[in-house]
Amino acid sequence: MNSRISAFLADRLPLKNVENHIKKPLPKHINWLFSLGSMAAFLLILQAVTGAFLAFYYSPSPDHAYDAVNYISKEVLFGGFVRGLHHWGASVLVIVVFLHLLRVVAYASYKPPREMTWVTGVLMLLIVLGFGFTGYLLPWDQKAYWATVVGVKIAGTAPVIGDFVAKVLRGGEEVGAVTLTRFYALHTIWLPWLAFGLIAVHLFFVRYYGSAGTPKNTPEDMRSGKPFYPDQLFEDAVAILILFIVLASMAIFVPVPLEELADPTDASYDPRPEWYFLFLFQLLKYFEGPLEVVGTFVIPTVGFVLLLFLPFLDRKEERTSLLKRPVALTVTCLSVVLIMLLTILGAIAPRLEPVPEQPPAAEQTAPSQETPEKAEEEAVFDFGLD
Amino acid sequence: MTDVPEEGQQRRTFFKIGMAAIGGLIGLAMAIPLVGFAISPAFRKASKKWVDLGIADLLKGSRYKKINYTFSAKDGWVETNKRRSVYVTDQGDGTFQVYSRVCSHLGCLVRWDEGKDQFFCPCHGAVFDSAGNVVAGPPPRPMDKLPVKVEDGILYVKES
Ligand code: HEM
Ligand code: FES
Repeated sequence: MNSRISAFLADRLPLKNVENHIKKPLPKHINWLFSLGSMAAFLLILQAVTGAFLAFYYSPSPDHAYDAVNYISKEVLFGGFVRGLHHWGASVLVIVVFLHLLRVVAYASYKPPREMTWVTGVLMLLIVLGFGFTGYLLPWDQKAYWATVVGVKIAGTAPVIGDFVAKVLRGGEEVGAVTLTRFYALHTIWLPWLAFGLIAVHLFFVRYYGSAGTPKNTPEDMRSGKPFYPDQLFEDAVAILILFIVLASMAIFVPVPLEELADPTDASYDPRPEWYFLFLFQLLKYFEGPLEVVGTFVIPTVGFVLLLFLPFLDRKEERTSLLKRPVALTVTCLSVVLIMLLTILGAIAPRLEPVPEQPPAAEQTAPSQETPEKAEEEAVFDFGLD
Repeated sequence: MTDVPEEGQQRRTFFKIGMAAIGGLIGLAMAIPLVGFAISPAFRKASKKWVDLGIADLLKGSRYKKINYTFSAKDGWVETNKRRSVYVTDQGDGTFQVYSRVCSHLGCLVRWDEGKDQFFCPCHGAVFDSAGNVVAGPPPRPMDKLPVKVEDGILYVKES
């Protein structure tokens, strides 16, 4: 039966070519760090699957989002587990993608001809962070709301187009219903399509150029390692299983936080971004007044552009281990240490003492009474050209 | 590939089985919760409660009187006002008969035809007599009568 099906398919599809292709030997000295890419791919698929299921119950409206998420956690069968996988999976994905990037740097795998593999990879890192930023808003609790208010304001500090970008991101002047639907669309439709499209390109390049192996590999080594299938795939599968067990345990044992419902009038709330944005959050504390834009825009943008074009900046074609590349080693270590340090500083920064709220009677209500009239006079569309 | 040494062959077989086992394990560990997650609403039993229809005295002598009522209930994660429509008939002995307007066939709303003393369903032409029995059309069973009680002069039905 089985053999008749395979014979049928083999008659019609170039299965033999595929088989020969995936059985090609890899370079020698492939270690488990080479499984990080597959682990990232697995996690991304897991995010897509758990996300598709969460969407059965989620409702992207400020009136419903919070209750819907609460309903998933408390009333849907396995709801806590599925939400846990998606929540902790996002964090683990960021870590795995970052480690994957570091291993590519460590072995100088981005050097010619693999520049495009690198560039698509960095774009994917950006997409992964985009998933994190848009997803953070969806539960519509205090941290969701306030982190988005602040996050979008940060984008708004970009010179010239900042204000416009902030309005486009929010879909208006403030974070509200329009912001939530657009973040939901980005999170569940736009970014997944982009991500899977880019992965396809990324993996095509990976296969087309073949693994770069480690700098240790001699030219003879390059074609004399173990085959990709089944040897390497088996190792990938073991790494993925371990990753899955860790993640599933987190989903079972670590409850996913859900704070109070978003309250735009609560001045006592001290907003914090998700931990993998903490380093950016901490960075801007060091730049005040007119210099603020350095922390919010200049450094992150320059850093990102340098990362994106790294293979074109590091022109030495010869691949050697990171330990033998003093400049690259220094830059990499400094960046990693700095990011970790800023993250830790951001994490331990004392939270604001909750300021006692003023009694409502003392609050300024007059300006809000004026605004409706003023707003009416203005055109419906404000292109911000003035 | 034919002259691979015996030992290599065994390793490959082990890898293939190992991969299938890992794939199966993760697949199963995901499939069970995900399927449960998706079909979970099917296992929730609807909580039915008594809903107040009005003062019983004011409904005295009603004959197939249409009453729309509203009650608050949970719809998923939202507390909403649900609306229902019934026909109320005073049976003369101090008790009431309350017919659900939901057709016992496929759920359209039936109408009471005063002249013919019958219920009609516009969807597939069902006809029920004044006692709710099927006279014509596809419905498999008579019209649904809701549980009724009068307490402190108020008529209650158990919403369906
Ligand atoms: C969701 C994100 C990503 C996924 C799913 C992914 C997936 C993969 C996979 C499966 C491989 C082959 C196995 C391996 O070498 O680990 C690979 C290789 C590679 N990746 Fe990624 N990757 C991602 C992000 C990135 C990032 C952020 C970078 C760098 C900035 C990057 C750069 C590369 C390069 C240069 C290679 C080729 C390495 C070689 O040939 O030795 N990738 N990727
Ligand atoms: S639904 Fe009433 S006859 Fe079909």
